[in-house]
Amino acid sequence: MADALLVRLKQLIVDTLKLDDLRADQIPDDEPLIGSGLNLDSIDALELVVQLEREFGIKIRSSEETRAILSSVAHLAAYVRAHAPPEKLLPLP
Amino acid sequence: MAPPDSQPLRLRATGCRTALGDARATCAGLLLGRRALELLPVLGSEGGDPVPLAPLPGRNLMETAPPAWLSCLDELAAEIPPAPWGSARHPVFVTSSNFGVGSLYAVQRTGDPRHFATGMPFATVEFIGARLGWGTNVTVVSHACVSAHVGLLLAERGLRAGLADRALVFSFDFISPFVTGGFHALKILNGGMPAPFSARATGSIGLGDGAAFAVLELGQGGYRLSAQATHNEMHHFTGNRPDGAGFATCLAPVAAAAAGRRLWIKGHGTGTLEAGRLESVTLASVFPGAPLVSWKGSLGHTLGSCGLVELAVAIAALDSGRTPGTIAAEPPCFTDTVAIAPFANGGFDGVVLASNAFGGAHAACLLSHD
Repeated sequence: MADALLVRLKQLIVDTLKLDDLRADQIPDDEPLIGSGLNLDSIDALELVVQLEREFGIKIRSSEETRAILSSVAHLAAYVRAHAPPEKLLPLP
Repeated sequence: MAPPDSQPLRLRATGCRTALGDARATCAGLLLGRRALELLPVLGSEGGDPVPLAPLPGRNLMETAPPAWLSCLDELAAEIPPAPWGSARHPVFVTSSNFGVGSLYAVQRTGDPRHFATGMPFATVEFIGARLGWGTNVTVVSHACVSAHVGLLLAERGLRAGLADRALVFSFDFISPFVTGGFHALKILNGGMPAPFSARATGSIGLGDGAAFAVLELGQGGYRLSAQATHNEMHHFTGNRPDGAGFATCLAPVAAAAAGRRLWIKGHGTGTLEAGRLESVTLASVFPGAPLVSWKGSLGHTLGSCGLVELAVAIAALDSGRTPGTIAAEPPCFTDTVAIAPFANGGFDGVVLASNAFGGAHAACLLSHD
């Protein structure tokens, strides 16, 4: 069964960046999000980080941390699990 | 009389304002190792994370109507040699990255329509020009953080084309929550103090208020700009080509003009890691052994005004005989040419001043003197 947080994060990426020609389940867990793989750029990263901070109550501290977190959806999920308040990890209604 | 093409481009006067004061006070503060940056709430009185900022003394990030920074520009303008600025033969080039965007933010926050007078670039420049008694021959230039260099280059072209007797380049950028919030969202303005050209795990910049001017004319004597260059990589919104070719391309004509000179370099050096590494490595390659400094670890990045602010400070440093070092840099640095401590500059006969900007824009010039 798919990891609920991974599914939620992939949908967040598609919705935030308006990736109309991509379905969330087409985003691999382990491919880079920036530069290759999904080929997002730094402006995409900015939009994603703002949305992630808002939705999960996390605080990403630097551009280097951003790059590390967005190295894959799996890395992103691990970071969110480690830093988000528990109530923010509950499935959305 | 020599044709305009062959005459030196003389800097008749320069001046600036930073959080440390005028050009001489700024240079003196830098020589003492003073850091103007302090950790302040990113959104001013609206709060937010503490980030390194260097506003003018007593200035709040939240804009007033009229803007509090006008008094700074009045003081600075008083240093400009009198001339019919803005007339046909005395053009003015006003450069900024953000003009009065803090006023636009204030309109949104307060609803006070008085902020509109300085909320947009052309309105802001008209407002300032009317205040300072300029005519209508005023060109408005904005190209992110190389804006001031572009103004200097346009002024030189006008002079060499015989279109002007003297040109004024005037530049300013005052930080506001709109600007600080934007850089904070990019995560390059964060809780860390900038350490330009330092090989750290995390990069960070600081932002500061800055304003400056230069009066240029063709003729002999004093300080002069012996070469100017700009280049745009057209590579990416925010990043540089990873091989540093953009930096090298911009520096090539300046290096050719500087051949045989003993140089020191005032780099851009904001404190970001990737650009700082590319810049310092390329500068060390193009100008082997030339000491490299950045002053943004103290003053913060004064954005579109930085090229002109740092030109005025470089001239103050030449006048004083000592060049401020790279305040807040921490070994190991990306290259061994980074000068952390101040040094005597009497043995040098040229200064390269370089700036870079979002969008892969680069600018550089060669400052020399008799």
